[in-house]
Amino acid sequence: MPVRIWRTPLDIEKVKRPKAEIHIIKDQCKGCGFCIQFCPKDVLEESEEINERGVHPPRVVDESRCVLCGFCTSICPDFAIFVVEKQCKKEC
Amino acid sequence: MGEKEDAESTVGGAIRIGVYVCHCGLNIAGSVDCEEVAKFAATLPYVVLAKDNRYTCSDQGQELIKSDIREHKLNRVVVASCSPRLHEPTFRKACEEAGLNKYLFEMANIREQCSWVHLHDRKAATEKAKDLVKMAVAKAALLQPAEEIEVPIIRKALVIGGGVAGIQAALDLADTGYKVYLVEKEPSIGGRMAQIDKTFPTMDCSICILAPKMSDVGHHPNIELLTNSEIVYVKGYIGNFHVKVMKKPRYVTDDCTACGECAKVCPVIAPNEFDIGLAIRHAVYTPFAQAVPSTYTIDLNLCLNKENIILCDKCIKACEAQAINFEMKPETVELGVGTIIVATGADVFDPSSLPNYGYGKYLNVITSLEFERLINAGGPSGGHLIRPSDLQIPKRVAFIQCVGSRSEKSGRLYCSNVCCMNTIKDSLLIKEHWPETEIYVFYIDIRAYGKGFEDLYQRAKKEGVIFIRGLPAEIIEDRKTRNLWLTGENTLQKELYKENVDMVILSIGLEPRKDSEIIQRLLTLSRTQDGFFMEAHPKLRPVDAATGGIFFAGCAEGPKDIKDSVTQASAATARAGILMAKGKVIVEAITPIFDPEKCKACGLCIKVCPYNAITLNEELKRIEIIEAACGGCGTCAAECPFGALTQNHFTDKQILAQIDAITEHDAEKKIVAFCCNWCAYAGADFAGVSRMQYPPNVRIIRTMCSGRIAPKFVERAFARGAAAVLVAGCHPGDCHYINANYHTQKRVERLWKKMKQHGLNRERLQLLWASAAEGERFASKIREMQAITDKVAPEEIETAKKAFEKALGEV
Repeated sequence: MPVRIWRTPLDIEKVKRPKAEIHIIKDQCKGCGFCIQFCPKDVLEESEEINERGVHPPRVVDESRCVLCGFCTSICPDFAIFVVEKQCKKEC
Repeated sequence: MGEKEDAESTVGGAIRIGVYVCHCGLNIAGSVDCEEVAKFAATLPYVVLAKDNRYTCSDQGQELIKSDIREHKLNRVVVASCSPRLHEPTFRKACEEAGLNKYLFEMANIREQCSWVHLHDRKAATEKAKDLVKMAVAKAALLQPAEEIEVPIIRKALVIGGGVAGIQAALDLADTGYKVYLVEKEPSIGGRMAQIDKTFPTMDCSICILAPKMSDVGHHPNIELLTNSEIVYVKGYIGNFHVKVMKKPRYVTDDCTACGECAKVCPVIAPNEFDIGLAIRHAVYTPFAQAVPSTYTIDLNLCLNKENIILCDKCIKACEAQAINFEMKPETVELGVGTIIVATGADVFDPSSLPNYGYGKYLNVITSLEFERLINAGGPSGGHLIRPSDLQIPKRVAFIQCVGSRSEKSGRLYCSNVCCMNTIKDSLLIKEHWPETEIYVFYIDIRAYGKGFEDLYQRAKKEGVIFIRGLPAEIIEDRKTRNLWLTGENTLQKELYKENVDMVILSIGLEPRKDSEIIQRLLTLSRTQDGFFMEAHPKLRPVDAATGGIFFAGCAEGPKDIKDSVTQASAATARAGILMAKGKVIVEAITPIFDPEKCKACGLCIKVCPYNAITLNEELKRIEIIEAACGGCGTCAAECPFGALTQNHFTDKQILAQIDAITEHDAEKKIVAFCCNWCAYAGADFAGVSRMQYPPNVRIIRTMCSGRIAPKFVERAFARGAAAVLVAGCHPGDCHYINANYHTQKRVERLWKKMKQHGLNRERLQLLWASAAEGERFASKIREMQAITDKVAPEEIETAKKAFEKALGEV
């Protein structure tokens, strides 16, 4: 329906969007870059630091963008990244 | 005269024409000496008998023709009486009953186009009647018998669009017993009516009355529902359409139980189109609760997964029925149908283009469609009319009418038909829930024209809704409170107003679908200036398209309310049903005659054919004609530069013979007029019926379409010394043959150029667009041309004769 959509949906606040907590085990990373490349929300980027294995591990750009799809966890060949849902008491 | 020999051979002997001059009581005899005309007719070549009688169309008159055909072995019949648009079928039938092919009958219109328009000049009218009879006899001598072809009709129908009109049409056809394919672009049927809260004037709940129908469509054994689908290809003709439908993948199979677990886990959210962005939806969704089919859909533009890459499998995991399948591919479905009903509906006007109302900038300016979602209990606010800025219930509300209707500023000049009543209904809905609300309606006119509409209007007034005539010039927002100031002129009291309200509802108009052009092209339809599809006849064939086998229902043809949409849908169904019940259709034998030896396969005819009825056979290097698809306009015959095409019953030779008959005597005083059957000729008839008087020096030649008028006809008339030529057809855009008259215009423009090159006064060739209702337009054109013909000097006639000498060679 080609009606112009421009408003903020009235119920946007009511939708509980799970907040993500991304954990990166930096020294386990071998720098393949899969997690960065395949993240659908572009949450990760290559960092400048160098880990024990001599590569640049990923770094979180914006954690709030993460939708917890968990693809980074499944694709990582070195079990170096995982995401858990943030357990917040009230608002976080 | 090869054709004459052909004609003789087809009837097995010499041409024997019988002429009947009708008195029509005093209608003709009052200003034409019919006896003299009959005597004159008897002197014409091939005429073996000529009679005049009081009423030729009476049973006795018809019996006379029949017995003469048998007794005198007539093989051509000419009746000089009223318009062929009136009694041609009557006399054709009489001829057939006497064993004469109906295409061997010809008429001379000496009533509408002679006696009635020259009431006070008996001499001139009689002379003109003689000419008209001479023309008819000249054509009759060249007439050929023709057989009409019968085309079988596939007893299946396609309905395009699943709004209320499409739903009604599909159900009616399916209940009649025909197989129906209902194609809908969106994931669910329901259309605009599903978005609306209540309907006027009865205040029924819209979805409550629609949902049962939607569900009937879903379960009907005769209906195949194709949602998420678009028409991509249509070829064929009445009774035999070949259609391709592109079915976009849903990524959810029919195993879906619509439990909604997938949507709960879907991490992606976006504004919901169904609620005009007032509520959210997920990437996997169903547009609304009552959707049919209820199967969910995955919007791959939003989903984290891309084609062949599954990143997120939350919905897959959540689905117990295992109905989610990302491997689905677009699918093309091929259908064969006999009839098509176009129910593509309408779009709503986007008021952002009117900056003075601030829509898209001021949060509390909403459209009437947004209002419907807000007041709907199933909508994003649960039926509470809240203003978007602070989610509070407004205390003062203003409606502004005609936003995108009846205004030059918005470019939409037409009335959208539904907005007045919709606003009245909306105002009553507000009063029902929150009686204290102050409601102002700013309008140009309130059009409460339908059954029960006026009552509703009066009720709204009684409830205290304030109607102010005069649209606001501007809306200004108070930045702090987000309230809105409306300023304008109350045109009834001739004073300025400045009102402060909490919320403004723009009553937006309807407009043609943005993608109408695609449907127009695929189905070769025509549209009005407003952009809605055009019917074959505004009064008598209001649901038929000009293209055979195609019908309209709902807003595709023009803005209308639900009741009218449903009425039209049922009407379209009846029209389609007539064709399919018969199972066959007869095509009038006025299709092209093709001479393959002369064809150079240049393809000009293919380009001008409005019906795509001509195709190029690359192998044989010549064209092929699909007779059943042909509309019978004759534009191809006028376009062919090699004389390979002509039109049955309107052959080049027949038309040239008519021109020659007109110009045999006193050509330098006469106007040769070519008129199309549907508009100009009918307009000339209307001038007659209305007794509009005009000069008697015009002689009209009837063609089915002005597109049939080949430049060589005009040239022939000038070469034979005619004073002036008139080419007349339907208004551009109103052509009975879609767009064939555009070619008429081009040809006339080319002729004007040619005349200029030869130093001729181009005024001697006139082009007129006149509708069937514009008798006065036709009459005044002839009066105007009289002044031109009076001025034409003998030298000018001679120059034209020389300039177009070549045209005399055409026989």
